[in-house]
Amino acid sequence: MNSDAVTVTESLSHRMVVGRKPEPSQSAAVLKEDVALLIRLRQGDERAFDELVARHHSALIRMAMGYVADREVAEEVVQDTWMAVIEGFARFEGRSSLRTWIFGIMIHKAKDRGVREKRHTTFSAFESIDDDGDETVDPSRFHQSGEWAGHWAFPPQPWDEQTPETLLASQQAVNVMNLAIKALPPTLQDVLILRDVEGVDSKEVCEILKITGTNLYVRLHRARERVRQTVEIYLEGRQCAV
Amino acid sequence: MAQEEGQATLSEIPCQEIAQWVSAYLDEHVGDERKRQIAVHLAICVGCETYVKQIATVRDVVGLLPKTVEESPDSHRLRRAFVARARPSPSGG
Repeated sequence: MNSDAVTVTESLSHRMVVGRKPEPSQSAAVLKEDVALLIRLRQGDERAFDELVARHHSALIRMAMGYVADREVAEEVVQDTWMAVIEGFARFEGRSSLRTWIFGIMIHKAKDRGVREKRHTTFSAFESIDDDGDETVDPSRFHQSGEWAGHWAFPPQPWDEQTPETLLASQQAVNVMNLAIKALPPTLQDVLILRDVEGVDSKEVCEILKITGTNLYVRLHRARERVRQTVEIYLEGRQCAV
Repeated sequence: MAQEEGQATLSEIPCQEIAQWVSAYLDEHVGDERKRQIAVHLAICVGCETYVKQIATVRDVVGLLPKTVEESPDSHRLRRAFVARARPSPSGG
């Protein structure tokens, strides 16, 4: 099976398989691309700058929204990020990828802004996800005691016909999932957006967010579990309605 | 016989613990021993097998959700700033 570039068509053409999510071809290729783009940027090539903005702007806005919870402020944060990129790319040394650098700037600015504005959140909200704390899956779904303690009491019911494509075909399911992602706290939203939405490889996600691989997977799994729960509730509701 | 063995292994790691490792397992971010334990558990536990499939579906579907393309609200300003920075006009004149 071709596990290289994950295009939408490819992903749709085979049923979900349990296995490694193909990491996008990274390091060498990406860095080469970065170098080519940087050269053009430093030559003052406006199209190179447009390309850079087009490549990352949407993802930056999506992530910034998680921190500031206000569309306008998110746009300002990202605008400021681009200004900082313009100021800084001449000094950028390529110790990380361009993306890691740009997203790092945005997160810094977004956190700063989120704290200053004291919108819906405080600084502690960014750090409140204790990576060793809460259970990922609702503990009441497992036997609490006895011989089967820790084993499923209410196991998930198979989503027989549900594949990524059938879920995507339902506007309601799409809305439900988008809302679930939006409702995630910033620390969970970040990892989900970077890893699963943008397809950034796990090593780079760790670099961008300055977290360990263990942290990453604790957070990523919590985020996926919350989305899973939402889909589960949605599918159960639909069954009841039939 | 096989069932007895199966149950013994199943009890080794509770489902609740397996569930915590699913995303790392799917991305092959677990050590060999843990991977083996999880694989053995999944082979005999329908609940966990279903759970793994659902998390994998979520992982895949999230990446395929339609994305809004955001236009930069002030692209002219950015462009001007870029041009000014990249090609500083001879100053002092």
